[in-house]
Amino acid sequence: MIRIAPKGSPERARMIKEHRACIDSMKGVPGCTILRCKTPGDTTEVSGGIHEDFELNRVLLRMRAQPATNKLVVICTKVEKEWRIGRLSGIRGVPPTFVGRKVYDNEQDPQHDIFLMRLDEFSETDGCPEHFRQGWKRRDDMWATT
Amino acid sequence: MSWMRLTGYADKFGVHPGDKIRFYVNCDGPRQYNAKLVKMIHGDTNPRGPGLIERPIKSAINGNYKGRKQIIHSGSYGIVEDKPQFHLKSFTLQCWVWPTAPKTHPKYWKHGAQGLVTKWHNNKGYGLFINEDGCAELRINGSKITTSAPLRDHAWHFLAASYDAKTGKATLYHEPQIVYALDPQVKPATAKVSAPRHDSSPVVIAGYTGQHSNAATARSSVPSGIVISGQYNGKIDSPRVCNRALSRAEIETMKLGAQRGLTERRNAGPTGALSETIVAAWDFSDGIDTAVGRDHGPYLFDAQIVNCPTRAMTGHNFSGNNFDWKHAQQEYGAIHFHDDDVDDARWDVDFEWTVPNGFESDSYCIKLTTNQGDEDYIPFFVVPRVGEEQAKIAVMIPTISYMAYANEHLANNAGGAELLVYRVPIMQQQNMFLSEHREYGGSIYDTHTDGSGLCLSSRLRPILSVRPKYDHFLMQAPWQYPADLHLIYWLDKLGYKYDIITDEDCNYDGLARLENYNVVITGSHPEHNTGPQLDALHDYTQQGGRLMYMGADGFYWVHSYLPAYEHLGRGVITEMRRCESGIRTWRADPGEYYHQSTGELGGMWRYRGRYLHSVAGTGMSSEGFDISSYYSRTEDSNDPRISWAFKGIKYDEKIGNFGLVGGGAAGTELDIVDTMLGSPPHTLVGATSAGRHTEAYLLVMEDFGFNQQGLDGTQHPRVRSDIAFHETPNGGGCFAFSSIAFCGSLPWNNGDPKKNNISRLVKNVLDRFSKDGPLPAAPNNAFKHRGRADYDPPMNKKRK
Repeated sequence: MIRIAPKGSPERARMIKEHRACIDSMKGVPGCTILRCKTPGDTTEVSGGIHEDFELNRVLLRMRAQPATNKLVVICTKVEKEWRIGRLSGIRGVPPTFVGRKVYDNEQDPQHDIFLMRLDEFSETDGCPEHFRQGWKRRDDMWATT
Repeated sequence: MSWMRLTGYADKFGVHPGDKIRFYVNCDGPRQYNAKLVKMIHGDTNPRGPGLIERPIKSAINGNYKGRKQIIHSGSYGIVEDKPQFHLKSFTLQCWVWPTAPKTHPKYWKHGAQGLVTKWHNNKGYGLFINEDGCAELRINGSKITTSAPLRDHAWHFLAASYDAKTGKATLYHEPQIVYALDPQVKPATAKVSAPRHDSSPVVIAGYTGQHSNAATARSSVPSGIVISGQYNGKIDSPRVCNRALSRAEIETMKLGAQRGLTERRNAGPTGALSETIVAAWDFSDGIDTAVGRDHGPYLFDAQIVNCPTRAMTGHNFSGNNFDWKHAQQEYGAIHFHDDDVDDARWDVDFEWTVPNGFESDSYCIKLTTNQGDEDYIPFFVVPRVGEEQAKIAVMIPTISYMAYANEHLANNAGGAELLVYRVPIMQQQNMFLSEHREYGGSIYDTHTDGSGLCLSSRLRPILSVRPKYDHFLMQAPWQYPADLHLIYWLDKLGYKYDIITDEDCNYDGLARLENYNVVITGSHPEHNTGPQLDALHDYTQQGGRLMYMGADGFYWVHSYLPAYEHLGRGVITEMRRCESGIRTWRADPGEYYHQSTGELGGMWRYRGRYLHSVAGTGMSSEGFDISSYYSRTEDSNDPRISWAFKGIKYDEKIGNFGLVGGGAAGTELDIVDTMLGSPPHTLVGATSAGRHTEAYLLVMEDFGFNQQGLDGTQHPRVRSDIAFHETPNGGGCFAFSSIAFCGSLPWNNGDPKKNNISRLVKNVLDRFSKDGPLPAAPNNAFKHRGRADYDPPMNKKRK
């Protein structure tokens, strides 16, 4: 299982730097992916990011594949103006709650901050037998990736 | 913080000039709201595009209205009004249940006990329940008798309860159908209690009477003024009510149900003596396509089935031999009830508008605002009557697809959402409101609150995803309705005269709805269609009509409207089942693939033998939702049969490397030409986006038989969008643009064809297709015999 590079490692620093550069180049795009736009805000030519950094690619996929409960999400609080980070409840009828007080003025920066938060949330050997839990015995929800 | 205090809906998507349309508004807090009619031309607030464009129109309904709260009473159940025969002293209740959420999280939106078969209210009456701890429970007045054995979820259980008024003895049986090795035995529970007292509350199946209320907000409940509580999630099969305490052996015989008119010649059912005890014996396998739960007992206490639960569901006795409910109806005696089902919000009318005769066919909204900053829109369309068309161009708004996506909850509830879109989803105020207000129902992409697949959608409720200014999580950009407004903007900006028609118009009016138009233009994503609609499109193109397919992933899913709701209007509730292949955000269980509404096999049109590609020339082969890309011309584009479309576009130009959906014209879901999947063998591919997509783009599962690596946009040749054209008989033709993001490129640079080569391309096609008379004939050398398998499979190399 792909390793989540620990705090202080050069791999983590490299992934963060690449992720930041990709996010910055995506500002203004009605969409987002972790790739570098040759011309910022223009997706005509993209490179780097998940297409070239294998470890970053796999770490992001691991993070994206979590079940919904307590998963981080972005919430638009003012159309075209303000965004905040939230956390899903995983319980039907309980809306997401805000995480922190930071208000963003664009759609892309919260993606980067969530990446940083998740690097700290995951253990280095996430997905290996020592992390076995009872929940592995069943499919999460009809909707998920399973 | 209330995310939305103003919400509303109309009783129609499309209204004819001269007809009336009704509007229903919930204004939760402010004393008044303002309503005004606007023409809705562009609903995308992205600052890189033209921005929101709405044009106010004078109308009799513009003005201020008193604000009042209106709510939706969701949750499905069966209702029988109070009758003396239910005022029992002794009784037996029994049913089979398959609960999906017998015990819920304490914060679950409807946490608590669930009613199964009840005539109970406020500690008066009797009924079978599942208590808050997930155990079977018999209530008689204020007494509760339970086995204390939690019901296993997603499993069948037989439950029965008897009460003998002479002895006061109550007995509750809970018998799981499957017993595993380490399951503790569940012994019947008994108690001595007084006989039930009665009131006027109805009999409720899958709930119980919570309140008798005069409040204005209780009017929209069914029955009006009676609010049902304890809505059950799961299947109920064969409920029965008898008027004395049956023995366990008699209960077993009563499972067979009722057949009245026992003679020497016909039998099946309880013995004569036992039949005399039947008060009601509902058989849900009867009337699967209706909103009635038939009672086969002597009193014909048919239950009104409220809020459209899912029928054509396998019962406790499904044997796995017949999978079409029409051929084994007795194995489909279950109804799956959900606490978030909604068939009709049933609000009071706030105002209605009679569309003036001759009013211009176009896209409109009622814009609702308060002076405290609340805002909502109720979109609708003015559609000319058949025979009174106002233009030669028709835009076929995909209202069935709007219903399929109505009020979707994917960003909030789906663990898989983030992998699908390759970034963290962004939730808008509409999603935040809906995450709390599950009574607004969900979309056919969702699971219900109990985790089961959602396959029915009503348009008689506020559909908050069909709104201008709403960015969908899939692209953090417009999707469906607001994306179709990109097309409306472009038609309006370039001065085209066009009519609006809807999917339901095609379904009900057939060819007559289409044949007076020179060209029919689809929306950005006409994914969901009924058979009659596809038939009409086929008839139209075969008879010389022209079709411009402005999207992708079209003509994919089988839909049918429920006949049980046609008294409320055309196309009120649509149904779809996700079967064994295709994009399945939930998966139907075996035996539950056939529609309750028409009995037809659900799933993809492809697996009904109607290829996607046979409608407009291309069909879906991949999807990805991170960013979009652009097209390049191919050698086919020089063929005189299609070169006219590329006039003004140089061969090496990047076509559509800009746009308001993903930043390019080729994006989200992509269609390709495939002559083995229904593309006519003479189809030309004028341009393609091959090789440019990211690894977020993946081949659809129906295009491969077993999973394998190498299926993404950076590796697989079928991950691409093909702009294609083919001629149809009698001077017709189909032009397919094959990408959902395509319309998002139309408003770029204000749609100017000199500065926007997507606009140039579409204008060339529309100008040609909208002319009177047949399209120019193809050159003689284009007429030749072509096989389906003649083309070389793609090695991306030319054969020497």
